[in-house]
Amino acid sequence: MCSQAPPSMVSTEQRQHAEHIFLSFRKSKSPFAVCKHILETSKVDYVLFQAATAIMEAVVREWILLEKSSIESLITFLLTYVLQRPNLQKYVREQILLAVAVIVKRGSLDKSINCKSIFHEVSQLISSGNPTVQTLACSILTALLSEFSSSNKTSNIGLSMEFHGSCKRLFQEDDLKQIFMLTVEVLQEFSRRENLNAQMSCVFQCYLALANQVLSWNFLPPNHILSCREVMHYIAMFEATQNVMLKPTASWRETLLDHRVMDLFFTVHRKIREDSDMAQDSLQCLAQLASMHGPIFPDENAQLTYLAHLMEGLLNMINGIEIEDSEAVGISNIINNLISTFPRSVLTALPNELFASFINCLTLLTCSFGRSAALEEVLDKDDMVYMEAYDKLLESWLTLVQEDEHFPRGCFVQPAVQVFNSYIQCHLAAPDGTRNLTANGVASHEEEEINELQEDDRELFSDQLASIGMLGRIAADHCIPLLTGLLENRVTRLHGQLQRHQQHLMASADPGTVDRKVLDDLYEDIHWLILVSGYLLADDPQGETPLIPSEVMEYSIKHSTEVDINTTLQLLGSPGEKATSIPGCNRTDSVIRLLSAVLRTSEVESRATRASLTELLSPQMGKDIVWFLRRWAKTYLLVDEKLYGQISMPLSTAFGADTEGAQWIVGYLLEKVINNLSVWSSEPDLANDTVELLVTLVEKRERANIVVQCENWWNLAKQFASRSPPLHMLSSTVQRTLMKALVLGGFAHMDSDTKQQYWAEVLHPLQQRFLNLINQENFAQICQEEAVKQEIIATLEALCGIAEATQIDNVASLFSFLMDFLSSCIGLMEVYRNSPETVNLIIEVFVEVAHKQICYLGETKSMKLYEVCLTLLQVYSKNNLGRKRLDVAAEEDQYQDLLLIMELLTNLLSKEFIDFSDTDEVFRGQEQSSGAGRAVSAADVVLYGVNIVLPLMSQDLLKFPSLCNQYYKLITFICEIFPEKIPQLPEELFKSLMCSLELGMTSMSSEISQLCLEALSPLAEQCAKTQEKDTPLFIATRHFLKVSHMMSKPLMQEYSELVETLLSNQRDAVIYQRLADAFNSLTASSTPPTMDRKQKVAFLKSLEEFVANVGGLLCVK
Amino acid sequence: MADPDLDFTSGDAGASTTFPMQCSALRKNGFVVLKGRPCKIVEMSTSKTGKHGHAKVHLVGIDIFSNKKYEDICPSTHNMDVPNTKRNDYQLVDISEGFLSLMMDNGDVREDLRVPEGDLGKEIESKFAAGEEMLVTVLSAMGEESAVAVKPMTK
Repeated sequence: MCSQAPPSMVSTEQRQHAEHIFLSFRKSKSPFAVCKHILETSKVDYVLFQAATAIMEAVVREWILLEKSSIESLITFLLTYVLQRPNLQKYVREQILLAVAVIVKRGSLDKSINCKSIFHEVSQLISSGNPTVQTLACSILTALLSEFSSSNKTSNIGLSMEFHGSCKRLFQEDDLKQIFMLTVEVLQEFSRRENLNAQMSCVFQCYLALANQVLSWNFLPPNHILSCREVMHYIAMFEATQNVMLKPTASWRETLLDHRVMDLFFTVHRKIREDSDMAQDSLQCLAQLASMHGPIFPDENAQLTYLAHLMEGLLNMINGIEIEDSEAVGISNIINNLISTFPRSVLTALPNELFASFINCLTLLTCSFGRSAALEEVLDKDDMVYMEAYDKLLESWLTLVQEDEHFPRGCFVQPAVQVFNSYIQCHLAAPDGTRNLTANGVASHEEEEINELQEDDRELFSDQLASIGMLGRIAADHCIPLLTGLLENRVTRLHGQLQRHQQHLMASADPGTVDRKVLDDLYEDIHWLILVSGYLLADDPQGETPLIPSEVMEYSIKHSTEVDINTTLQLLGSPGEKATSIPGCNRTDSVIRLLSAVLRTSEVESRATRASLTELLSPQMGKDIVWFLRRWAKTYLLVDEKLYGQISMPLSTAFGADTEGAQWIVGYLLEKVINNLSVWSSEPDLANDTVELLVTLVEKRERANIVVQCENWWNLAKQFASRSPPLHMLSSTVQRTLMKALVLGGFAHMDSDTKQQYWAEVLHPLQQRFLNLINQENFAQICQEEAVKQEIIATLEALCGIAEATQIDNVASLFSFLMDFLSSCIGLMEVYRNSPETVNLIIEVFVEVAHKQICYLGETKSMKLYEVCLTLLQVYSKNNLGRKRLDVAAEEDQYQDLLLIMELLTNLLSKEFIDFSDTDEVFRGQEQSSGAGRAVSAADVVLYGVNIVLPLMSQDLLKFPSLCNQYYKLITFICEIFPEKIPQLPEELFKSLMCSLELGMTSMSSEISQLCLEALSPLAEQCAKTQEKDTPLFIATRHFLKVSHMMSKPLMQEYSELVETLLSNQRDAVIYQRLADAFNSLTASSTPPTMDRKQKVAFLKSLEEFVANVGGLLCVK
Repeated sequence: MADPDLDFTSGDAGASTTFPMQCSALRKNGFVVLKGRPCKIVEMSTSKTGKHGHAKVHLVGIDIFSNKKYEDICPSTHNMDVPNTKRNDYQLVDISEGFLSLMMDNGDVREDLRVPEGDLGKEIESKFAAGEEMLVTVLSAMGEESAVAVKPMTK
C-alpha cells in the first residue's frame, strides 16, 4: 500500500515502485479473472479501485477479442457486485459504475449492447424504497449520462470523435429520455411526501442533480452530414458544459412539452427552497426549461403556450414568498434565459394581463435586488449574490427595451421609472437616498486606500450604467428632470458648503479642522448623478460618430413648443448663476438644462480653485465632469442635422453649426481645460481626462475650426511652447497628448497668414529653442547641466506628441518637420551616450515616428527614414558594445532599449504589410522619381538592426515576456518578408538566428513556437526554389524538419509514411476506404507541390474538406 | 569622496546640488532624492485615500552609488528634491593602490577615485592588465562621485 501511505511511512522510491506495480498491472493482458478474484476477496479499498480500473481499460483495449456474452456477463457481475456491497467506499463504487458505463458505451454501436436491461434493473432498484439502493440507482444513471454526454466528464477511451458523436446521438433519442422519465418519477414520488428525513433528502438531492444534468444536455443536431463547423462542434463539446441552452430534438416533444413536467419542477422548488444546495439545482432546472428552443416546438403557438405556462408558474412561485439569498441568482437566471430565448413575437402574443404582471414582478424584483446589492456593498461581502442577480436582471431589461417597438407603446415607462428611481435612491446619501446605510439604518463610512489599478466606477459599472441609462431614456419625461433637479440641488449645496469652509478658513486658518464628511457625501452624490446623466444622454461607440439617442431627441422635440429658446440659451450661458434664479427657468429645454446642471457643477469647481480651495475639492468629481463633457461634446456639439430624420429646435439652435451657442460652449470647454491643466497638474488621471477632452475638441475638423478662433487656444499654445509653469509640471504622458492636440488644431481651417502665425507660435519655438541649445559651442560642456537636460527631455517628449498627431492629411508637413529633428537626435545620442534615460527617450521618438508615419510615406521619404534609423542603430551599437555598468538597473535599462529597437524594426517592416502611400497623394509634387539612387532598403536596415540586437540578446533577457514576444515577432516578419536575404547573412548572425528559432520552437510558449513555425515555411520555400542541397540554409531547414516532426507536424517528406500508418491502423473497411479517398483527394491537386499562392490556397481548401470529412475520425478521445 | 582641493568641476561651483520638482512631474528612470540619498526612480505609482481623496505618489528608488533601495510616499502636489547629476567619460591611464588614474579632456589627470567594488572593478583591473584602452564613466551627484561604467575605446 506504499502508493497511498503517508509520506512519513514510505520513501519516494518505495512510492514510485508501488505506483509502477499498479500501472503495469493495469496493462496486463486479459486480467478479468484476476480482477474478479481481487474484487471478491480483497478488503483494501484502493486495490478494489485499481481492479475496477484494470477491468475497464482491458475491455476497451481487447474489445475486438471479447465475445458479446462475456461482456454482458462482466456487466452483470459488476452491477451485482456493487448491489451486494452497500458499504463500499464511494470512490470504489463510482469507479466500478464508471467501468460499466464505459463498457456499455463502447458496445452501443457494434455489439448491440444496450441500456435496456440496466434500466430495467434500475427501475426495480428505485421501487425498492430503500434509500441506499435508490442512491445506487442514481449513481448508475449518472455514470451513463456522463459517459454518453461526450463532454469533459467523459473518459478517454481512445476512439474517434465521430464514434463519440454517434453514440451520443443514439443515446439522446432514447436512453436519455428513459433516464429523464425515471428521474421525473422519483421526483414526483418525493414531492408528494409530507416529511422527508435526512436520508431521503439526500436521495432527493441526487435525483434533482441528475435531472439538472439531463436538462443541461448539449443536444447534437440529428442529421448525419458533417460540416467542418460540426467537427469543431465535436471538439468544443468536450471542453465546456457550462451555460448550455436547452435545444432538444423534435422527439422530445411529448416529454418536455408536457406541462406536468414543468409543474413538477416548480413544486419541487417550493418544497426544498430553504435548502440552499438543493434550491440551486431546482432553480437551474427551471432556468434550463426557460432556455428551451429549437425543433421541439412544432410552431409558434406551441411556444406561446409553453411560455405562458412557464410565466404563470414563475409568478406563482415568486409572489407571496420572501426570496432567500440563495435564490436570487437562480431566479434572475430563469428570467434572463426566458427573455433572451423567446422571440419578441411570442412575448407580445402573451395575454396582456399575464405579460403585465410579469413585467410588474420583474420591476419589483429588480428594485429589491438592487437594494440588497447596495447592502452587500456596504457590508463588503465576499460573495455578492445580489449584485450578480441585479446585473442579470438589468441585462434582461436592456434586451427587452432595446426592441421596445414590438411592445405596446409606453408599456415600459412606469417600470423604467421605478427601476431608475431605485437605482438613484441606492446611490444617493440620506435623507434622499440610502447609500451606505446598513439594514437597520446605521450609516457606515470608511475611507479605504485605492490604488491606481482599481477601475473607475464609470468602467467598473459600465454595464449597469448602460442599462440604467437606457431605462432613463425610455422614461425621459421623468428621469431627465429628476436628474436635473437633484444635480442642481447638490451643486447649490456644494457651493454653500464650500463658501462656509472658506469663511471658516479665513477665520481660523487651520485647514485641519475642516470636516470633509458633508463634502464627501455631496461629491459622491454628484459623482453618480453625473455618471447616470452621461450614460443617459449619450453613447460612446468606439470609432463611429455617436448619435443623439432617438428617445432623447423625441423627448426634446415633444416639449419644444413649451420651450422658450432665449431663456434656454440664457440658462446655458450663465453657469455661474443658480438655475432656479433665472426667470422662466421652467420653460427651458430639459436636455439642455441637464447639460447646464453639469456646467454649473463645473463652474463651482473652477471658482473654488480660484479661491484656493483646491485642497477641499474632489479630483474624482473633476474627472466625472470632464468625462461627461467629452462624451457630451462627441454627440451634441455641432449636431449634424443630416444624420437625423427630425431634429429638436432647441438642440439645433443651441449646439448646431454656426451658432453662437456652439461657439460659446467651445470657449467654455477650452477655459475649463486650461484651468484644469494648471490647477490639477498633480492629479494624473484628471489631467489625462482633461487633455483627452481637448483632443476630442480638435480631432474633428468642424470642431477644431471653432476652437482655433478662441483666443484662449492661442494662449494655451504659446504658454506650452514657452515651457513655463504650470504646464511643465504635468506628467510626461499628459504633455505628449497636449502637444498632439495643439498640432491637430493646427490643421483646422485658417487663412494662410493665420496658419503661418499659428505654426510660428506652436512648432517653431520648439525648433528654435532646440537648435539654439544644441548649436551652442559649449554644448558638450553644458549638456549635463540640469536645465539643459530638462529642456532636451521636454523637446523629445514634444516630438513624440507631434508624431502621435499624424493623420493622413497632415503627414506631409509633419514628416518634414520631424525629419530635421531626427538627424539632430542622432547627435544627441552621441552626446548623451552615457545617460541611459535620455538614450531611451531618443529611441522612443524614432519608434513613434516610424509607427505613425511609415505607412503613408512614398519611396524617397521612406528611404530617408530608413537611413536615419540605420544611423541611429549604428551609433547605439558603437556606444553600447562592450559597455559594462555597475548599477542594478542596468539590465532593466538595456531591456527597455532593446524592446524599443525591436519595436522600431517591426514598425519599419510593417511597411510591407500596411502601405497607404500608393493610394493617396499626400506627397504629390514632392516626390521625385526615384528608384535609381536607391541607397538603403528596409531589409538592410532591419537586418542591420537584428545584427545589433542579437549579440545583446540573452536567454535571461528573453525571460521578459514582452521582449520575448517582440523578438520572435520580428524574426518571423523578417523570414516571411526577406527569405532570400537569410542565406546571405554573415555566418555568426545566421547561426544565432537559427539558434533562436530552435529555442523558440522547443522551449517557449505555444504562441512563440507557432511564430517560429510560421517563420520556417518561407525558409523552406526558399530552399525549394534554389534547389541547392548543401547550403547552410538547406541543412538548417532539414534539421528543423526533424524538430518539427517531433512536434507531430507532418511535413511533405514524412507525409506518405504518416498516411500509411494512419491507414494501417484502421480496421474498419468502410472507414479505411473513406480515409484513403480523403487522403487521395487531399493531395491530388498539389503533387508535386509547387509554391505559388494559388496552389497554397487550393491546398488549404482541400485540407478544409479533408478535415470536415474525416476530422471526426482522426480526433481521438 | 572628492578632495575639495582637487575640485575641477568649477563650472558649477556654488550651484545647488539639487532642485525641486512637483512629485507628479517626476518620471520613471529619472532621479530623485529619497531619505537624503540620490536615487534613480525604478517604480512610481499613485493611490488615494477614499474615492474623493487627492493623489499620493509612491516612489521606489535605487541609490545611484550604493544600489540600496529606498521608498517614499507623499502627496503628489509636494515638491521633491531632484539631484543634479552628471556623467563624464574619462580615459583610464593607470591603476595604482586601488585608485584609478583618469585623464580629463584638458589633459589633466585625476587620481582621486577608487576602483569600484565588485564585478565592475574586477573587469576594469583585468582589462587594464591585458593592456586594453578604456573609457570610464564617472557619475557625480550631491557631492559624491563614483565610477559606474566602463567601455572599451573605439577607434
